[in-house]
Amino acid sequence: MLPLTPRIAPITRSVLDEGELLEQLVEGFGSPVNVVLPQSAGANVARFLDVYRRRRLRGRIHFAHKANRSSALLRQLSTTDAGVDVSSLEELQHALSSGFPPDRILATGPKDRAFLWLAAQTGVTVAVDSLAEISDIPGRNAKIMIRLSGFVSHGVQMVSRRSRFGIRVGDLDTALDLIDGRAELVGLAYHLDTVAVAEKAVAFEGALAALDKCRARGLRPWTLDIGGGYGVNYLADGAQWERYTSALAQAVLGNRPPMTWNGHGYGLRAENGTLRGSLTVYPAHRGAAGADYLDQLLDTPAPGQRRPLGDLLLDHMYDLDVEPGRALLDQCGLVLTRVVEVRRQDGDLLVRVDANARDVSTEEHGVLMDPVLLGKDEGEGDNDGEGEERGAYLLGNLCLESDLITRRQVRLPRTPRTGDLLVFVNTAGYFMDFVATTAVRRPVTPMVALYRRDGRWRWCLDENYWPEGAP
Amino acid sequence: MRFDDITEAIGNTPLVRIDPAVHGLRNIDLYAKMELLNPFGSVKDRAAWSMVRPMLAGAAERGDTVVELSSGNTAKALALIAGMHGLPFRSVTNRMKVPEIKDLLLLLGAEIDELPGQSECLDPTDTDDPLTRMYRRLTESGGGFVHTDQYFNELNVEAHLNGTGPEIVKDLDGNAPDYFIACVGTAGSSTGVARALRQHDPDTRVIGLVSAKNDFIPGIRTIDEVHEVGLFDPGVYDTVEPVSADEAIDGLLTLVRRCGMLAGPTGGGAYQGAVRFLRTVDASLTERRSAVFIICDRVESYLSYLRERRPALFGQPARPHSVGSLSPAEVAAAPVVAVEAAEAYARDALVIDLRSPYAYQALHIDGSINIVDEAFGEMLAAGLPFSRRQPVLLVCPVGEKSASYAALLQKMGHPAVHSLAGGVIAWRDADLPLVRD
Repeated sequence: MLPLTPRIAPITRSVLDEGELLEQLVEGFGSPVNVVLPQSAGANVARFLDVYRRRRLRGRIHFAHKANRSSALLRQLSTTDAGVDVSSLEELQHALSSGFPPDRILATGPKDRAFLWLAAQTGVTVAVDSLAEISDIPGRNAKIMIRLSGFVSHGVQMVSRRSRFGIRVGDLDTALDLIDGRAELVGLAYHLDTVAVAEKAVAFEGALAALDKCRARGLRPWTLDIGGGYGVNYLADGAQWERYTSALAQAVLGNRPPMTWNGHGYGLRAENGTLRGSLTVYPAHRGAAGADYLDQLLDTPAPGQRRPLGDLLLDHMYDLDVEPGRALLDQCGLVLTRVVEVRRQDGDLLVRVDANARDVSTEEHGVLMDPVLLGKDEGEGDNDGEGEERGAYLLGNLCLESDLITRRQVRLPRTPRTGDLLVFVNTAGYFMDFVATTAVRRPVTPMVALYRRDGRWRWCLDENYWPEGAP
Repeated sequence: MRFDDITEAIGNTPLVRIDPAVHGLRNIDLYAKMELLNPFGSVKDRAAWSMVRPMLAGAAERGDTVVELSSGNTAKALALIAGMHGLPFRSVTNRMKVPEIKDLLLLLGAEIDELPGQSECLDPTDTDDPLTRMYRRLTESGGGFVHTDQYFNELNVEAHLNGTGPEIVKDLDGNAPDYFIACVGTAGSSTGVARALRQHDPDTRVIGLVSAKNDFIPGIRTIDEVHEVGLFDPGVYDTVEPVSADEAIDGLLTLVRRCGMLAGPTGGGAYQGAVRFLRTVDASLTERRSAVFIICDRVESYLSYLRERRPALFGQPARPHSVGSLSPAEVAAAPVVAVEAAEAYARDALVIDLRSPYAYQALHIDGSINIVDEAFGEMLAAGLPFSRRQPVLLVCPVGEKSASYAALLQKMGHPAVHSLAGGVIAWRDADLPLVRD
């Protein structure tokens, strides 16, 4: 049984130590319960700011709101230097009502007319995604950025996945013609969905060239927005990750017993004894994640000019805007679930929790890590002599074959008992509500904010959380 | 030796004994198979020629492109062979991590397609491996192609079964070595040589070397990646052991500094892995044994790889006039001009903008000249590039680099040099004019 131990920061640890409080929350609200830790977010913002400070960079760190719908997190972030990136009318309304002034809000993503109207009316900067959006912007004073895509590399051809977003670089002139006099161009933006630094470097340099084109037309955009995708390191131990992924490949090849439900390969498959496909799981242990990844990107030489991207940015006097989502929510939340059934089937330990794979959507995002089983380790009921640690499959509460919290056999410190709490840590970024549903008439999971005041943990409903003190 | 065609020079490489004083093994003769002496520079010349040769007939007439999933030596050999036959060559790769090799391939006329990295927001349906992606790109491009398919092509193995292996036996006076140690990349050379040696002597022991997971040695696959190779058959190897990049570089240094062999990291890894393994059996031996490893390619293409991992190997003594030689106090005491006074000061001074050329060309202070900081540093190493009577104002983005250079110029005896405090960004923020020529 190969473990994947989650990385647990001291603040998360101190929440897990409050077993009685967590028990009361699940008893009161029913399983599952989403818990957010708003006071954790500031430290993540500070790490990004530190990279800016060391590099003498200016610009805004926008929290990508879509990562979590919580009001507590948003209100807390509004007390920091961070801005917010909103991608719907409702998120924009939420940001405005959570204390963000318009000059710290950036509207991104696909937009309808109502969204564009409220953004323009309040003076929020709009990152336009298509030529049609430019024409749809009301009034003449909106501040806009153009999101570009389809950057071209020279020499070595860097192939990127096709993106549904953004205006093609080749259409920049058309976009600028459309803008002419209708809005103020404050910058250019791109976002690439990749973890490859070299791929981002091509887009970065391409966007700098596009900004220069704007300058040649007499425009004065001062901001380069490079989007999100800085990542989170979810696991405590890189060696565990390497052992696990090696073993998974061997299991797919049939050289060791299956480690997943029905031998699921997470994208890998065996053909004539050779491993094919590719492992489609999130790189859960990463050398550089979050602010460190940004630092690494800025150190990368531009493929054409062969000077570090961060230096080029300063040379050109541009501000840098970024939109981290999960990286700003590292260690900012957990999901509490109740064990409702424990049974053995064909030699496997099956543990059913009162939650489904959409409530704790780590599997959908390919993040593999073990949950934390609360309660005492001694005096367990099921003493079957298999040693201390147990491998278990976690079943969800939907009447659906595929509803497993994860198809990976997880490692538990002991056999759980009905009634135990099983906690999924570090879930604030994308794993709480992004895909949650009300299928089989299950209610939407309640969300509570846990915060420290006067030396102890307190809680309230997420919507009732307001940060302490005046800004 | 007179040839009509350079491909005739492929193969028949020497087998050279390593001086026992270097490896320290008492009972084992260790030989290096000098594959780096192939005409295109590596062991892959054999496989590339063996695989592409049968497909060349009519390829030029059809307008085919030679394609391969390669990040190094196979691509290099195929690029040269394709060029000789008037065919374009395209390499598709997601693992080309050595910049010199990219540049060399471009010089040889190859096209390189680099595949995208993993997506940050996971798409679980995107399970294509690089080979599948390559086929799709080829289909999209419409033209015909010659795909050598090195990870699955038996001709890759046969090149060594009929060439490299028998050559080793011949050079050992008709005997197979007791031990054969090889790094595993496509598995072609290790599998082919192992088969040839075992046909001669079934007791030959074969040790495969792979790189440790999360490590990177060009040309060697990791313990996981070998399973993606169609030619890889675990049964070929008596043992498969990991070798680290650190060991590979140690081995490379021994070969280049003590043996006169210009081996690259793969050869270095093979040497170091061989000696490490052989030491474990050497002490218990009572009679002489022989062992062979392969030096796959040459060191020159890996300078940046080595510089990144062992910067000390390239250590240069500190130069007399460099910003690195300044103390923080000297930099802090650099003469500066505040942005309010700068416009007047700039009128009578030589204004040097240290930013990149593109940034300068886009917007700069009127009348300034552009010398990018790295070039300026090089110039100062040789002395003052302007008169002491000439007042100078140095400009960089935020006034940090310019302060260092101002301090350096002052130390070199220039009496009238200043740095623009806050740099060109402060100048812009003060709404002072910037021009674009």
